[in-house]
Amino acid sequence: MSDIVAKIKDIVGDEYVITAADMSQYLKGNEQPAAVVFPGSTEDVAGIVKAAYDADVKVNVGGKVVETKGLSGGIAVVMSRMNQIEEVDPENLTCWVQAGMNHQEFVEKLLEKKLNFPPEPYAVSTSSIGGCFAIGDVDSKAFNYLPTRTFILAYESVLPTGEVYKVGTKCIKCVSGYDMIHFIAGSRATLGIMTRVLVKLLPEPGATRAVVADVPSLTAAAKAFKAIQKRKVFPTRLNALNKALGNEIMETSGCLVLVDIESFPVSCTQYAKEVEAELKIAGATSTKIIEDKAEYKELWSKWLKVREKINQEENKVKFTVGPAKVVNALGSLSGIVGDIEENPGVLVEGLIGKTTVFTNPDANAAAINKMAMGLGGNVSGLLGSQLRNNAYNDKEMVEEISRVLNSIRSEFDPKGIMAPGIKL
Amino acid sequence: MLSQSVIAKLKSICGEKDVITSKIGMYAYGYDGTMLEGSHVGIVFPETTQEVVDLVNFCREQGIAIVPRGAGTNVSGGTLPTDGSIVMNFARMKKILEIDLENYVAIVEPGVVNWDIQETLANYGYYYPPDPASWKASTLGGNLGESSGGPKCFKYGVTRDFIYGLEVVLPSGKVIWVGGRDFSSEPMYDLTRILVGSEGTIGFITKAAIRIQPTPEAKRTMLAIFNTPEDASQAVADIVSAGIIPTTLEMMDNLIINTTEDHCGAGNPRDAGALLIIEVDGNPGDLEAQVETIGEVAKKANSKDFKVATSAAEVDKIWLARRVAFGSVARVKPNYGVNDITVPRSNFPKAIAAIEKVKKDFGVTIGTVAHAGDGNLHPLILFDQRKKEEVDSLHAAEMELCRIAIDLEGTISGEHGIGILKKALLPKEFGPVGMDVFKKIKRAFDPQNQFNPGKLVDL
Repeated sequence: MSDIVAKIKDIVGDEYVITAADMSQYLKGNEQPAAVVFPGSTEDVAGIVKAAYDADVKVNVGGKVVETKGLSGGIAVVMSRMNQIEEVDPENLTCWVQAGMNHQEFVEKLLEKKLNFPPEPYAVSTSSIGGCFAIGDVDSKAFNYLPTRTFILAYESVLPTGEVYKVGTKCIKCVSGYDMIHFIAGSRATLGIMTRVLVKLLPEPGATRAVVADVPSLTAAAKAFKAIQKRKVFPTRLNALNKALGNEIMETSGCLVLVDIESFPVSCTQYAKEVEAELKIAGATSTKIIEDKAEYKELWSKWLKVREKINQEENKVKFTVGPAKVVNALGSLSGIVGDIEENPGVLVEGLIGKTTVFTNPDANAAAINKMAMGLGGNVSGLLGSQLRNNAYNDKEMVEEISRVLNSIRSEFDPKGIMAPGIKL
Repeated sequence: MLSQSVIAKLKSICGEKDVITSKIGMYAYGYDGTMLEGSHVGIVFPETTQEVVDLVNFCREQGIAIVPRGAGTNVSGGTLPTDGSIVMNFARMKKILEIDLENYVAIVEPGVVNWDIQETLANYGYYYPPDPASWKASTLGGNLGESSGGPKCFKYGVTRDFIYGLEVVLPSGKVIWVGGRDFSSEPMYDLTRILVGSEGTIGFITKAAIRIQPTPEAKRTMLAIFNTPEDASQAVADIVSAGIIPTTLEMMDNLIINTTEDHCGAGNPRDAGALLIIEVDGNPGDLEAQVETIGEVAKKANSKDFKVATSAAEVDKIWLARRVAFGSVARVKPNYGVNDITVPRSNFPKAIAAIEKVKKDFGVTIGTVAHAGDGNLHPLILFDQRKKEEVDSLHAAEMELCRIAIDLEGTISGEHGIGILKKALLPKEFGPVGMDVFKKIKRAFDPQNQFNPGKLVDL
């Protein structure tokens, strides 16, 4: 093992390799890698991965912190040195950025140039741009802006075999070959380490408003969300948090409704009033339309902290149903997890029909999935795919999907060195 | 040629009438929008997923390759039959299985024609944004295979952005569902995205959950006339810089303006260097300010004229020339080759200049239509199929256009796909590592190379 660490020190320099006890601040989990490495370039990453591949040593990567599951004796690659915006191109509405740049810092730097990168950070205090696309989230804004993957136009990565791979252009249309550009989103470093990313930008919204309301229950909020959509009003975010989560943003007696409207001036004002009206019909005990930019910014900063807390909670289940069926889903959810108003954490993202509930997945995910399937939805992600097929008793489909996923992974990573904690 | 026992088995799966093996019967399924033809040995028309499964399994056992086909409007040779293959035509799988307006999803079979789903949705005040030029004929299965674009893509995105999930028959003969009825249902790897645009080489789509959305409350249509394509390009860049993402930014050059005038007298000035058709949509209260800004931008970019349609009839009049653009060039030459190179918006003027050079260097006539907002150009190279030297010049000029696109940091295909026509240039765009990555994907799904072999990538 000392051979690989020595090789990596040769590649990046001694000062960028840690092997002592102070590795822990860069690690998440119980296992102990042989070293934490801080590459400064794509070439550094390629050298590290090639050395690890040749020595059959496991590798995982993170923006600031690396998950150590399965990484015992392996290499933890922390991308925080690769944290620069390389090029902002306002004419093409694109930006080349290094993968280790902090996601929220990136958003704020672009806003200074009146440019908008809509995807929300997964964990606002630590998430990097590389992590943003490695996770490939579908966030509260996805109804209007589409999922995170939509915002990747090109990238440079290091394949698990150590080769540098570059794909994509500044064109929003590209159907040359298999769509490896968007396929990378959500692959969680199993297909390689992204080092630089070309992202799609949008012009800064012409106007913004937020509407906040204290609504008696999540179900009442969900009914209001349905009514708002019936008016053909589609805000940027249309979220409700139960009392436990909502109170981390502002004190409420019921659930906290947070509505974000990014649009042009006339419609922004109109939509805010319509949203407020529907929330009052739903029984809101207080409502407020926020126009002041500083207050608006502060509200969404608080939301991002709550979002980080939700995403870092391990005991949770996320499920999606059609947006019009959220009311029914919430009604049934209490029957599975108990009173959702009193739960330690429930989030409803109304436009995308997604609900997150703090509960033990081992105990309740299958029941929640069954309920969601009854409403045309399912638990999200890989777990959801497995649960859905189990619910259909379709062992063959489970096996075939697993075979395809693992075939892809082994084509890219024949020795299975990358992201060892991820099981497909 | 298929043996009688193989034909009998195919008929036992699909039904007597839904297997064609006669030469004359197969002819209409042997070509597409290119000039190329393939030589297949049979055509099957499955009606259900189970029939697709049975056909795939049987053909695998027999070592017969399968080429999927929708309406055959493909212009990259992607649906051309390979030698000895069976064409699987999805025309009978044309049911709209479900429309769920409140939840913004429709479930469709691959043989549904794009226009048909649009008309159905329009009855409810909804639509499906991807709108390729071939939408009156092309099927959703074909659109998915190519990840088709269209004029509205600049604002709304291409086909891949509107697909929630797919039922797919894999080369193994197994059926899987990838994705779901929302964007959160992928099993970690985004299998939906890798299947969309894969040109039928790794799986056959038998159902799709597509994202539908309410028709915008209002739209405004504008026409701007310019002396040069460069001025029009500048206007495009400035509109985006002004914070406006129009639904549509369509450009036509002087040659196309003149052929459309000859064809239908749309009323556009014959001496114009280029015109832009610009549409914005959204809340009616927002549109006036956007129209005003666009008018100012056009003026600053030296527009000769700027019109805003004030009635449905005027909208139709503005769109008339664009709608007949492709057909109108037949007044100059009987055939045209349509390309779909795409470059970054900032390189659009350079691409226009490069097309001018190709005209001179290769002695070809080119008229250009473009989705200017997303840098997607359709240079139409006009030729006479009966004259070999013109066909040779066409091929040489098309290859040069693709090289230009790569040199301008663009892509050889923005919306038509690779098929066989552009396959030779793929390594230039992606390099050896990129090509090897494509092979990894193909091998993971179709190690025996049974699905649409010879297209996009070779194993």
